Amino acid sequence: MKQSIDKIVFGDNQFFGINHMSQEKAQQLAERFYDINNIFEVYQHAIDAGIKGFMLNSNDRAKDICEYFRSNSEKYGDLNWYPSIPYPHKYANLVAEKGIVPTLNEMLFKGNSAKGIVNMVTKGSMAVLGKDAIKMMQMLIDLEMKMFKGLNVKVVFLQNVITDLILGYEVQEVFESYCDYIRKKYKATPGFITQNMPYLKGKLEEWGIEEVVICSSFNKIGYLTSPSLNEFIDEANKNNPDKYHLMAMSTLASGALSAPDAYGFINEQNIQSVVFGASSKKNIDQTVSLIDL
Amino acid sequence: MRKTKVRLGIIGMGRMGITHYSIINSRPDVEITCVADTSQLVLTLLKKYVKGIEVFKDYNKLLKSGKVDAVMVCTPPNLNHDILKKAASESIHAFVEKPYMTSVSQGLEIKKTYEEKKLVNQVGYVNRFNDVFRKTRELVADGLLGDIYRFRSEMFSCTISQPDDGSGWRGARESGGGALFEMAAHAIDLVNYIMGTPDRVKGSALNKVYSKNVEDVVSSTFVYDNGITGTLYVNWCDHSYRKPTNKIEITGMYGRLLADQHSLKIYLKDANEEKQLRKGWNTIYITDLYKPVPFYVRGNEFTSQLYHFVDCIQNPDVPSECAFSDGMNTLNVIDNIFTDANEK
Repeated sequence: MKQSIDKIVFGDNQFFGINHMSQEKAQQLAERFYDINNIFEVYQHAIDAGIKGFMLNSNDRAKDICEYFRSNSEKYGDLNWYPSIPYPHKYANLVAEKGIVPTLNEMLFKGNSAKGIVNMVTKGSMAVLGKDAIKMMQMLIDLEMKMFKGLNVKVVFLQNVITDLILGYEVQEVFESYCDYIRKKYKATPGFITQNMPYLKGKLEEWGIEEVVICSSFNKIGYLTSPSLNEFIDEANKNNPDKYHLMAMSTLASGALSAPDAYGFINEQNIQSVVFGASSKKNIDQTVSLIDL
Repeated sequence: MRKTKVRLGIIGMGRMGITHYSIINSRPDVEITCVADTSQLVLTLLKKYVKGIEVFKDYNKLLKSGKVDAVMVCTPPNLNHDILKKAASESIHAFVEKPYMTSVSQGLEIKKTYEEKKLVNQVGYVNRFNDVFRKTRELVADGLLGDIYRFRSEMFSCTISQPDDGSGWRGARESGGGALFEMAAHAIDLVNYIMGTPDRVKGSALNKVYSKNVEDVVSSTFVYDNGITGTLYVNWCDHSYRKPTNKIEITGMYGRLLADQHSLKIYLKDANEEKQLRKGWNTIYITDLYKPVPFYVRGNEFTSQLYHFVDCIQNPDVPSECAFSDGMNTLNVIDNIFTDANEK
């Protein structure tokens, strides 16, 4: 890796009403973090605990979070950002309501109309552009990355629903183009979030795509580790971290594991970083003290 | 067990077709040979970026190509009858997205054809492959709750989030749109799967919220000859849900059970040692039941259901866990709700 990647990255699921185990818990958190100041308070706890890396999904609320850290750059300018793009539910809902082509039309052209590309809003332009998936992808990346402008972006992650969906099609060109674009345009390291780490890593090796960060679920009970926890462990063990920087998420398996138990296992693995989310000072401090990679 | 690859075609590359392609393409004994869709853009992109795939604008050509042993049908439901009929005449196994069919008589005809021809047939009621709902069914069947007298099946999503002019297929009942065909079908199938098919429906109501021509909210009461009753409540424009969510509550003489896709909460009057459940509240999380699937795209159940379809083709001894006959049972309930709500 040319860039140094933070060993501990603070995640954001807890802020956006996402809890894979309990919808009740997700709702409680959504209520608490309705007031964005409560989000900033948790970020301060993380910063106080020595964390410098922050993963943030490009959803609507992330805009305000980016704005806060950007406008307080004298205080927070040394923080590193790890955007994950896109916010998949936005697209999923649009596709369900309108269909794929109208969704792309709306995202690519309506979203950009203020910038004077409004003239392209014709079916014809979609038909021309439609033949070039790579160009479309670049435009969508720019759209999602707009909010992170001015922040110190280390890695740009492709969100797992999208990574794994495209992975299933085995299209080398899309993965290559994503990585090239992130390196050139954003001077950042490309990253992929996946629930199929061994399979993705195997494909990236086959395609000669290196120096990327792979973020995947990794936990003692094998929750969300397809095809199996053993293959995750083996794949990590034989990995060269200079080629593939492995970042573990869902280390607590959505709360099924206690932190000491979870990190006792994680610390034994050939993993280079951990991304975790927590909403109390106590849990943040405890997690930071337990991670020993 | 067959050793040869299953040559698969996908008809309809919308949201479900796109996902199914990605999932099933991961299986080594499957080769996706062709797809059909009406969108030239989708076909152009697939042809350009996916090696070796053949694309058709007309599904008839795909079915007659001689290149598919099985199809996944992910089209608006009103097309399913014609596609499945033609697929059967070519002896092609079929997986079809829910709600299977929009007409009871057509549904019966197709079910009969597939059964007579001994072709593998499956409907995409994906909740049957969710680990929590599977566990729920097992516990209920084993008599954990004793005699059951009441249940509630609910489903919420934010599929339609703003006024809909009805121009798309989801906005027209004739094409299989509306919350009853599209959303409630899942909640009804879950009842059929766990409780059995109701004998009658009563007090059904269909409400509009955002849609011009179809219902957005569905409610009904299910009645069984053995005295069990249950309610159905489905809303597909509930902004408080990020993802489609099914909930089922079942009450019996020994206790009560609450299940959703992620967890199972059980209250028992007395401990059940055989099931290792204590007196009072017990919670089983998805993490307690979870086994990783070979390839994950959007939930274990989506992979499990498609792998099951291929398992059934590869090994005729594997019984279908969600056959056209199951799709037919749900379609009958849907039809009864439309009649009961005076919309037929």
